[in-house]
Amino acid sequence: MAKNGVGARAKRKEDERFLLGQGQYIGDLRFPRMRDVAFVRSPVAHARLKGVVIPDHLRESVFTARDLAGVRPIKAVSPLPGFQISEQPPLVTDKIRQVGELVAICVADTRAQAEDIAAQVLLDYEELPAVVDMHEAREPGSALVHDTVKGNVYVSVGFDGDIDTVAAVAPVKVTRELRTARQVMSPIECRGFIAQWDARLGQLIVHGATQFPHVVRTGLADVLGVPEIQIRVVSPDVGGGFGYKAILAGEEVCLSWLAMRVGYPVRWLEDRREMLVANANCREHFYAITAYADKAGKILAIDAEAAVDTGAYSAYPFTAAIEASQVSAILPGPYDIPVYRCNTAAVATNKAPQLPYRGVARPGVCFAMELMIDAIAREIGREPHEVRAANLVRPEQMPYDNVTDKHFDSGDYPQLLRMAIDAIDVNGVRARQQRGPENGRLIGLGMAFFSEQTGHGTTADGKRRVLYEQCFARLTPDGRLEVRAGIQSIGQGLETTLAQVASECLGIDIEDVQVKLGDTELSPYSSGAWGSRGMIWAGGATARACKELAARVAHMGAALLQTDIESVTVRDNAVYGPNGNVSLRDIARAYYLAPNELPGDTDPHGLEVTGGFSPTRVTGMHSGSAHACIVAVDPETGGVEILDYVVAEDAGTLVNPMIVEGQIWGGAAQGIGSALFEEMPFDRQGQPLASTLADYLLPGCPEVPNIRIFHMETPSPYTEFGIKGVGEGGAIGPGAAVANAINDALKAYGVEICEIPITPRRILQAMQSVAMSKGPAMTGGEPARMPRTTP
Amino acid sequence: MRAFTIEINGKAVTAEAEPRTHLADFLREQRYLTGTHLGCEHGVCGACTVLIDGRPARSCITFALACEGAQVTTIEGLRDDPVMADLREAFSDNHGLQCGFCTPAMLVSCRDVVMRLPEADEARIRLELSGNLCRCTGYGGIVAAVKSVLQTRKAAGARPSAVHDGLGPVGARAPTARQGEQTARTPIAADTPSAAGGRPAAQIRETVTAEQWLAVETDGMELLQSFRVAHPRAQVWRFFEDIEQVARCMPGARLTGPVVDGRGDGEVNVKLGPIVGAFNGTVEVERDEADFSGRVRGAGRDPRSGSSARAIIGHRLEAVDDMATQVQISVKFLLSGPLAQFGRSGLLKDIADHLTQLFAANLEAAMSGKQAATGPDTTLDAATVARAALWRRIRALLARLAFWR
Amino acid sequence: MKPVAFDYERPGSLDEATRLLAEGGSMAKAVAGSQSLGPMLNLRLAQPDLLVDITAISELRTVTERPDLIEIGACVTHADIEDGRIPDATRGLLAFVAGHIAYRAVRNRGTVGGSLAHADPAADWVSAFPLLGAEVVTQSSRGARTIPAETLMVSSFVTGLEHDELIRAVRLPRLSARARWGYVRFNHKAGEFPHAIGGIIHDPENGRFRAVLGAIESAPIVVADAAILFGGPYDRDIEKRLDERAVLDLLDARGVQDDYNRRLTLVALRRAAAQASRA
Repeated sequence: MAKNGVGARAKRKEDERFLLGQGQYIGDLRFPRMRDVAFVRSPVAHARLKGVVIPDHLRESVFTARDLAGVRPIKAVSPLPGFQISEQPPLVTDKIRQVGELVAICVADTRAQAEDIAAQVLLDYEELPAVVDMHEAREPGSALVHDTVKGNVYVSVGFDGDIDTVAAVAPVKVTRELRTARQVMSPIECRGFIAQWDARLGQLIVHGATQFPHVVRTGLADVLGVPEIQIRVVSPDVGGGFGYKAILAGEEVCLSWLAMRVGYPVRWLEDRREMLVANANCREHFYAITAYADKAGKILAIDAEAAVDTGAYSAYPFTAAIEASQVSAILPGPYDIPVYRCNTAAVATNKAPQLPYRGVARPGVCFAMELMIDAIAREIGREPHEVRAANLVRPEQMPYDNVTDKHFDSGDYPQLLRMAIDAIDVNGVRARQQRGPENGRLIGLGMAFFSEQTGHGTTADGKRRVLYEQCFARLTPDGRLEVRAGIQSIGQGLETTLAQVASECLGIDIEDVQVKLGDTELSPYSSGAWGSRGMIWAGGATARACKELAARVAHMGAALLQTDIESVTVRDNAVYGPNGNVSLRDIARAYYLAPNELPGDTDPHGLEVTGGFSPTRVTGMHSGSAHACIVAVDPETGGVEILDYVVAEDAGTLVNPMIVEGQIWGGAAQGIGSALFEEMPFDRQGQPLASTLADYLLPGCPEVPNIRIFHMETPSPYTEFGIKGVGEGGAIGPGAAVANAINDALKAYGVEICEIPITPRRILQAMQSVAMSKGPAMTGGEPARMPRTTP
Repeated sequence: MRAFTIEINGKAVTAEAEPRTHLADFLREQRYLTGTHLGCEHGVCGACTVLIDGRPARSCITFALACEGAQVTTIEGLRDDPVMADLREAFSDNHGLQCGFCTPAMLVSCRDVVMRLPEADEARIRLELSGNLCRCTGYGGIVAAVKSVLQTRKAAGARPSAVHDGLGPVGARAPTARQGEQTARTPIAADTPSAAGGRPAAQIRETVTAEQWLAVETDGMELLQSFRVAHPRAQVWRFFEDIEQVARCMPGARLTGPVVDGRGDGEVNVKLGPIVGAFNGTVEVERDEADFSGRVRGAGRDPRSGSSARAIIGHRLEAVDDMATQVQISVKFLLSGPLAQFGRSGLLKDIADHLTQLFAANLEAAMSGKQAATGPDTTLDAATVARAALWRRIRALLARLAFWR
Repeated sequence: MKPVAFDYERPGSLDEATRLLAEGGSMAKAVAGSQSLGPMLNLRLAQPDLLVDITAISELRTVTERPDLIEIGACVTHADIEDGRIPDATRGLLAFVAGHIAYRAVRNRGTVGGSLAHADPAADWVSAFPLLGAEVVTQSSRGARTIPAETLMVSSFVTGLEHDELIRAVRLPRLSARARWGYVRFNHKAGEFPHAIGGIIHDPENGRFRAVLGAIESAPIVVADAAILFGGPYDRDIEKRLDERAVLDLLDARGVQDDYNRRLTLVALRRAAAQASRA
């Protein structure tokens, strides 16, 4: 049997159906009598809804909030002190709070006809002043997004260190304002749901593109007032998630209600325009940071004010608190920072609600902190990597509890940094820069370092994680293994990696393992796929189930081999004793079909196991990572090309290095999108200004460099096999690394850009403002793509 | 519904489709060929790429009926294609896919690269794949897969293969059977959802608060025009008294009722290239005698698109001398809804600029006793105007005003 | 995001097409490869009652060569030009331009006539054809006419075409063997609409020296005598003689106020000149 357990670079089991075009995504499912839904959505950001005018001949096809009597608003409440609660009705009842908000459901035979109907429904509304800017939102006199959210701040989260004492003596003080743009996560498959009522089972069956079918089920039960046992949520193949499909939103609530009302299956497939202008956004952070350091660059204290533009609603289940609380908690990053003060506000605005996107707040935090590191280095005239090295938590300090009480479980950060320095060849780049511009382009080097808390629960998400993740494993009578888990695959290869874990524990070939996901009816409860938790938690649960199964198989095998349990091992699809072996297939056949061959003390739970797992500490496993890149900047056009990009990553024990590399590649590509391209601009009335992918730019194949990856494997002491999470990591570093590289390239011009994405326009604007002021400039102004009035 | 014939994956099929049904929806919803995916429906993401006449094309912005007589090949039809078999294996070996959603179309494009460009290097491969977005893989595995298949084929002596060497869009064929006949087109039945082009019957009266008008002032896009007329200021001022006369100069604009106490109803019909707007709403007129200035505030909704517009059109008259007046026209406007969200705000500005120029030129013409370029109740079809000698006049006017702008 | 219901005809002759358009009035729209109109239909920004698909008209899919010029049918695609399926009359300029339009899958259906009629200011052909001094041959029920390419486009999405008037062909004067050209477009990512276009041609055989400033969010600026931008006639190292003030004045006159767009346009033109120098 080929070695394809933990650590094997196994080819993916799920590839074949995708390569043949046989993946089954939500849009590919067909049910008899199914009809299509389109929504009437608000064209404005903030208004009082006075009425919905439905033409008489369409009354049977259109439903409004009035029809949804009994359906409760979606409510996502953080347990953090001071959190101000808001409610999100599935359809607007009286107040519109964002462009694209759902006002009415239109149902027809085809989507085109449903859109025809939607176009004939008129909304009568009275506009209110839109709250669009997160700073103005907090000024006295600003309009309120929710009456219940005073000051337009859902919650403020902070740490209060004694800055003043340090400030009085610190020889180096560096202050910056930094911004990250509002983004749309943009999986290539949009969201979508199909709801139907099964009269025989008395059950609502909801198929949907979601990262957590069990959470959707719980949420639907709550909002619809239907017992959870009467709801089944099935997630088919999901065309990318990245956090965008980790939400319970109005569309699926409306669809579920509608299916119960009309009795036939109803389908809503989100289109790209809906995704871009109406549905969840992410990122949009603001930071004002002062770092105090000694002359060698050792940071003495960090003093920060931060804000997150959280949008119009507290999204279910992660709440409006998650991003802001993470900002405050992890801004110190991988560094040993003795004194820390930070306050972060989650601000309500009339824009789409925020969801945690791959890396949650970390890409923003890493961007802010790593630009501060480079700013300190510039201030004291040292290499930025030297300042990093001076501040990184050292291996001998592990496990280490940092200034915000984050528990770093393991790792060698300085060594990771050295790997990146060597890989990118810092000295070589410096020599190259000495030789001057290349074809008119300026060369720049940038790095970023971060420590990523993975696979944890947070205080911000309402502690919405299960105590134990569970997995069901069954050896079938033909000696094969089925693994059922409630976690969802969104492209990260769980059908392969969970099988590898099973193989490792049960000695079974992954070809004989089938991993079944995505159906609340068939799997133990799971919090779902997010937070780089899949392999830690579901992998751990699979290991536990399969280890237990291995023990039982060993017991049966020993009996069949007529030897004692201590003398057998489970490996290579069989149980081996001193004088022979018996295959898993024969054991399974014996158990199911010839039980008289087995002794009387056979475990009554048989060959089915539900295993549960939780890391020994649930404070997260800390993956470490250093990113480094070389860019060429065209000072005439603002064009940026990434010439080289390296990632040194410690994700603990790697279950499948190929898949880990895929996660890092893909994450880094998204991070490059954040760094250079992606931005959802709004006008002052709260109108989103990018409604197509020609306006919201996603990096394509020519824009993403060949990313070179270097692994370090420091096992976590708290997980099965020492696994750490890695799903998000790649996306965290590029904003900082690319920005630092661009600023390095533009150093001679005295330009330092402190907001992403760094578009050609921003580069030219920054260079021009420096040229005009003849002094160093830091940009961080309004989105450059806001339409300006012309004089 | 229209009957048509099309060859799908090597088999001739007679089917029916609505003219508005794009090829992707036809394949997916009627032929159950769901390997072709929809990611954006505006031709950017590439997830819907199929082969038409053997070459890659977007099935989301190609209408099914436009493929009458054409050969369409989807991922399902490439199962036994040897190049595709190599690519599938290389994708799996190099981890060129994760969620799999972009994969079928990505394979279609990769196959095109492999067959058309056997000498492609990495940079060329990347450029050729720029029309297929993948959000999961970071493209590294995809590029590696294409490189490996190219190498294998090169070693085996494969040559580029030419397909469909005729000119014109892939899919273009002889006319449909009905062509040449003088058949009347079937109107859409009145009781279907599509009736009236999906236009609402009712109308909503916009209420605009002082605060919102202030927003137009402070945040609106602003366009300015200025021209000189050879009339004394008092005479020009009287011209602006007649709101209906002024409205007639706004191409496509029309008052739909009398103006009472400075308020009235109106509509503006705009057709610019493919974009059509019909804004119904209200106008308010204000005049400041002392300052020889005035403004018309209009708010309207386009029920077709769900877009709203608010505009403040101001005029101020400056006496140049006893016989000439400089007329300053300012337009400030704010849009909301789909038109506002149509990201390329520069184009909207250009369009609005164009309208403002026409307005100014019409005013000038009307005051000078010349024929306005557009009638009061015609839809503004800018092309109509552009054809007229007027356009040259506007150009000339622009050149004159360059310094002022 | 599906289009409104519309009717669809696919006539086999120009006469039939122009008749259908004339009957359909202002709510009828001609369509070729649908690569620009398709997205606008899907977004419901365009809501026609009738589409007249002109791709079945075989004469629109032909190329005619004459000693001094080449006439490219309106339905010839970007890929046809990119792949060299039509004769090269412009020393590679057309193929160079065509190969960078959008993406390969779009180029296989997008047509030169469709692009000109759509009149997106950032599209390449609305800049490239005027640069070459092309003429546009149109057809309506009233007959044919010939329009200089540089006057066809009026502003964004607006042309001088009447609603029942079709583009039949683009007529291009040949560049001589000694001609030089430069064409530079800047976009933020591959396949995206450019944010600036600069182009120049110089043909010593007939003394033509032309330039274009395009993608300026309005109709391109075509300079028939590029000497005014370079302080004199074409010469070696022409890029070093670019008169920035003259370019900025042109942009001022057209109301191009956006600094980024202005600077990028300048650089595009200078680099186009450098490209011509090196050719």
